[in-house]
Amino acid sequence: MTMWYEKSGKNQDVVLSTKVIVTRNIRGYNFPCKMNSDECRQIVDQVAKVIDKDKLPNEWTGASLPAKTEDGKALLTSESQLLGRRLNVLKDADRKAIYYNEDCSLSVTVNQDEHLTVRALAAGHDPKAYAMADDMAASLEQKLDIAFSERHGFLTSDIKLAGTGTVILYTVAIPAIVKSNGGLNMLRQRVNQYYWSITPFDEQGQYASSNVYVIGSISTRGVSGEEVLRRGEMLINDIIQLERGCREQFATRRTSEVSDLFGRAYGMLRYARNINPREALDALGWLRMYKEYDDSSEVSISWEKLNKLTQEILWESERFSSKPKGGKLDTIRANKIKNILKGDE
Amino acid sequence: MRCERCGAELTNKIIKVNGVYYCENCARELGLDKYLSAPTDLLANAFSPLDEIAGGFMKMADLDFGNSRITCPKCGMSMREFENKGRVGCIECYNTFKEYLIKEMKRQQGEVEYEGRKPGMSNGIKTEAEDIREEAKELPKAPEAQETTPAKDDNIEEKIAKLEKADLGMLTDEELEEGMKLATQREDFALAIRLRDELNGRKGA
Repeated sequence: MTMWYEKSGKNQDVVLSTKVIVTRNIRGYNFPCKMNSDECRQIVDQVAKVIDKDKLPNEWTGASLPAKTEDGKALLTSESQLLGRRLNVLKDADRKAIYYNEDCSLSVTVNQDEHLTVRALAAGHDPKAYAMADDMAASLEQKLDIAFSERHGFLTSDIKLAGTGTVILYTVAIPAIVKSNGGLNMLRQRVNQYYWSITPFDEQGQYASSNVYVIGSISTRGVSGEEVLRRGEMLINDIIQLERGCREQFATRRTSEVSDLFGRAYGMLRYARNINPREALDALGWLRMYKEYDDSSEVSISWEKLNKLTQEILWESERFSSKPKGGKLDTIRANKIKNILKGDE
Repeated sequence: MRCERCGAELTNKIIKVNGVYYCENCARELGLDKYLSAPTDLLANAFSPLDEIAGGFMKMADLDFGNSRITCPKCGMSMREFENKGRVGCIECYNTFKEYLIKEMKRQQGEVEYEGRKPGMSNGIKTEAEDIREEAKELPKAPEAQETTPAKDDNIEEKIAKLEKADLGMLTDEELEEGMKLATQREDFALAIRLRDELNGRKGA
């Protein structure tokens, strides 16, 4: 099965993915953090009756949820990104249910933090993800008695979401901005102006461990969901322009240095026997920065492949509940990268 | 606990003589100074300033968690649990922790009201309640109703105006029922339908 993130997407040289998450709760029940098993099952049963099986033909319900095996965990998190990156989302799997489509781009999770979590995921920059998630949410709202207050909007367990209950997330790979003097500060200011947030995809201590960042919406009240999306579109276009501008500056002003690092990065990814995630993501960053300017035609790698590699490494920590020890993981990672570059995966 | 002589509330210095509690002032007036601890001597007790600071912290902690005994009557979530988890346990929590919630919401996103869509309304899709509301608007009024205008009651008008602006999710069942009666009386069918749908939604759930 080809997953959503392996497909082509708009502006995929900068934007890895667009994700829209819509949360809703059913009136008359406590929120999941205060529900017992019977109540959870009642919610699962209610949703099962109204879910649109044409749009979401696949399902895991309660005990069938493959959260107890290593493969199952990998499938739910790193391979499909159906669930978030925290492994505790798999806790109490018996109380949950997931409905999803073929490429896992649209899903509804039941009883994960909120009664209903609609996720629309798309490769690259794709505003249609918003419409997909919002339509699915509206369809559920018509069939279920949703907790809503005219003052606060959709009522959620997490009060940061109360209002539209919607979050829009763009995952961006911005190596050139990160390597530019003051580039990241400029970007942070820009993001704040739009009242959005920017966070490193992963952090080690106080430092970002890669050049991948998540740009996320904050507002759930005071503006409509459509307005949040409109601002997000303006912001993401600014980021794309800024990153491409920085890449051009590097490629034209420091050609010799950057082209050298580009070649070395490819060599390391293609032939290394052991590679740690930081090295791998840094090397992928150099490929990303100079790919459009390389005229040697010695390095051939598509944006889809580059993005698949990046996603594989970013989500890798969710694959293992107990990580292989003694540097074995570095070897597994190096082999995985090699296979993807060779075209075997 | 209070001083059994003057009735003043006892703070950190409590003097108990022959089973009777006195405040510091009364103890001095009665010549019971010997029961009071000696003035703080920095050299004798080098950590006394730290004790005072720690005492201050304890008082502040009490102030911070002054509301920690508030508990949601529906789901049993306590204020402290809510503060720790950052999540509420049910819809009723929005009423129970109203003051804190609103303060927290303002802190996060400023003083803003909800401006998004209503449930079920997306891409031109209307909810059943919306359809009923529109149908009610189109219905011709009964001839009697057109000819005779009910006498205006300022109190009712005021209540109707409040209901129009109210957040229905926050009203009690009784308030909704009363509001429905008033709205029907005033022939404000759109409001009556909204109130009825809110009430039915709760009963259905």
